Amino acid sequence: MADYLDGRLDAFDGVYAALAGRIRGYLYTLCRDASLADDLVQDTFMQIHRSRRTYEPGRPVTPWVFAIARHVFLMQRRTAGRRQRFADALAADALHTDRPRDEAAAVIDRDEVRRTLRQVPPEQRQAVLMHHVEGRSFAEIAARLGIRVNAAKTRAFRGMKKMRETMKGSPD
Amino acid sequence: MPAPKPLRDAIERDLKSTRPLRRPSTRALALAPVAAAILVGVPLLHAFRGDMDVLGFVRAWGFSIAQTVLGLVVIALALRESIPGRSLAAGTVATTVVSGLALPMVLVVMTSSRFDIGPGPGLALVDGAACFKTSALAAVPAIIVAAILAARAFPLRPGIAGGLYGLGAGLMADAGLRLYCDYSVPSHVLFAHGGAVAASMVAGACVAIVVARGQG
Repeated sequence: MADYLDGRLDAFDGVYAALAGRIRGYLYTLCRDASLADDLVQDTFMQIHRSRRTYEPGRPVTPWVFAIARHVFLMQRRTAGRRQRFADALAADALHTDRPRDEAAAVIDRDEVRRTLRQVPPEQRQAVLMHHVEGRSFAEIAARLGIRVNAAKTRAFRGMKKMRETMKGSPD
Repeated sequence: MPAPKPLRDAIERDLKSTRPLRRPSTRALALAPVAAAILVGVPLLHAFRGDMDVLGFVRAWGFSIAQTVLGLVVIALALRESIPGRSLAAGTVATTVVSGLALPMVLVVMTSSRFDIGPGPGLALVDGAACFKTSALAAVPAIIVAAILAARAFPLRPGIAGGLYGLGAGLMADAGLRLYCDYSVPSHVLFAHGGAVAASMVAGACVAIVVARGQG
């Protein structure tokens, strides 16, 4: 761990090799989903990397690492819960609306969104989809794309701005 | 098990030598100048209580310095709470909060021999609000510095870490306030002095939660 703090990549490999299996097992007991556990392991190591200066040399590594892994799991669960509530709210809205939504209009709207999305640069489109559709936090997006959190925010913001401009400029 | 390539690449891009944070107790000492400024600044900006001579050095300055040190200890606990894997036990947090909130009253009991010195008729609210405002404002600089120190770590329970450093900052402010306010009526001490400490605690928790959300 001390070598990793010194900035040595081979030391990171060593830390990963020593801990990834145990972290995965721990995360699997929390989420009971092998694929999700694999994703969470990657997120955990990104978070370990970002907060590596909080590790106190000389202290045991495992309580520090497992606390971070648990936090990553809880954040994921919170995001998933928020996403589910949003989907439930949308479904309830569709059920309780006074005027049933016209299916043809819905298809047109979907097509328009798809068309507008295609005009957004790929990097920004990816950030927009990950944040606004998949409900991922900017920290998660940054970890997955290997960019900084601010860069993820900027990409999503610019993507949405571009979409709004495109939709404003469309004929209807 | 080798690290997946995208993860390894992301780590490699950002990898540089990093100096670990110092121990929480050492980092809490960064607040010592702020604590000293609050301790001396509150009575200097307003006035020293009238019975300083009667109290003597130990019961006046001694107790306030001890309270300031306790405030620093609580902030050190908050900084420890901000380190992953070093979270405080629920019992420790509860004991710290209850003791911290009770401390202003305990000090008045240890300092005063009578508990009927208070605001004049009709002034309870005005004087109470003045003490509350003075103490709450005095805690602000300590909350800001502590929030910066905690945010440099990685608080997994920001509400608890913030509540603790808010409590520590509130105790520091109250240490200065008790050198200015000589009221010993329990209602004033509980609501104005204790209330300001509680308000600082809540403010600290809110600040920490907002900072944590801002950090993503």
